[in-house]
Amino acid sequence: MQTNATLIDDAWAEFFATHNMRVSISVDGPRAHNAARVARCGSPSYDRVVRGVEALRRNGVRFSALCVVSRPAPGLAAELYEYFLDLGCDVLGINIEEKEGVNTRDNDHRVARVCGFWAELVAAWRRDPRIHLREIEWALRYAAAVLDGTADEVLPRHIDPTPTVGYDGSVVLLSPELAGFSDPRYGDFSSGNVLRTPLPDILSRALDTPWVPEFLAGVESCRTSCGYFGFCGGAHAANRYFEQGRFDGTVTNHCRNSKILLLEGVLDHVRDGESPTVSPRTRA
Amino acid sequence: MSETASRRLSHHAQEPDLGGVDAGSVAERVQAARSGLAALFQEAERARWHRAEATAADDTGTVCAWNHFENIPTFYNWNNRPR
Repeated sequence: MQTNATLIDDAWAEFFATHNMRVSISVDGPRAHNAARVARCGSPSYDRVVRGVEALRRNGVRFSALCVVSRPAPGLAAELYEYFLDLGCDVLGINIEEKEGVNTRDNDHRVARVCGFWAELVAAWRRDPRIHLREIEWALRYAAAVLDGTADEVLPRHIDPTPTVGYDGSVVLLSPELAGFSDPRYGDFSSGNVLRTPLPDILSRALDTPWVPEFLAGVESCRTSCGYFGFCGGAHAANRYFEQGRFDGTVTNHCRNSKILLLEGVLDHVRDGESPTVSPRTRA
Repeated sequence: MSETASRRLSHHAQEPDLGGVDAGSVAERVQAARSGLAALFQEAERARWHRAEATAADDTGTVCAWNHFENIPTFYNWNNRPR
């Protein structure tokens, strides 16, 4: 379950523990980095997030975390990693903010800023690798496969349709972020409704949804034109649509921020000969 | 990022479009970083062991959260794409 933790109390934490549920918290780092996380009334939600996390910890519920980075900057990666060490999460995923849905904020960052962010994150992680850091694990997995000559086997053989079922039963495939939106050209992006059609039937006719073949053509364009395809697998549907207005484009800002420059950041860190040093926490 | 790293990146990947880099050059850069990567792989493996992630056969879910996250098609698995 992914949650902002604001409603988690001891009763919920006990429930999660009893049912062996996996919990992941959405939090963007220390208070100052959580300005975008607000309650419906607009008030900051950070204190409630912290209280929810405290309830999990009190009840021995292990948790993961997802962190959105709005603007990569020098020093930020190390600050965030230290924060999540203190928070106590087992697994961490870092998402560079995406231009998606109602969020129209620009995500066209300078290459050096983003690459430097990832390189700095690797350095911070090496000093104290207690957390399973999703992005680093993926980058290392791919790099190891390249060196082993098995890079073609990193990605799954088949694309998963990843059906999202909306509150009204409508089914949107591939990118949950498309649910609830519509476009004069693509309609509401849905491929059917589970209140009228069994989900397996909807999935078997996925190609009848006009934007899906366009997306698959886009994936093939990525495969033939982008050197990072073996690592990335092609731009995500929602990123293509919300950045480019269509599904058959190729490189998105999200590709650059979270795939291409992630891999390059790891390689930059390695080539610069950085090695783990004594953690500032240890020295303190 | 260090100045050297910035220069290196701008050499092999021009802003703003980084998609034109051929697969060979990406693989070559990974190969060129082999020795540094080897040390990183070792550290990562030790870290997984300390996190008890090395017991992949154990599906009790007590510790192996990473395995769960990366093998289900959610936002955790961002490589949900065909090769």
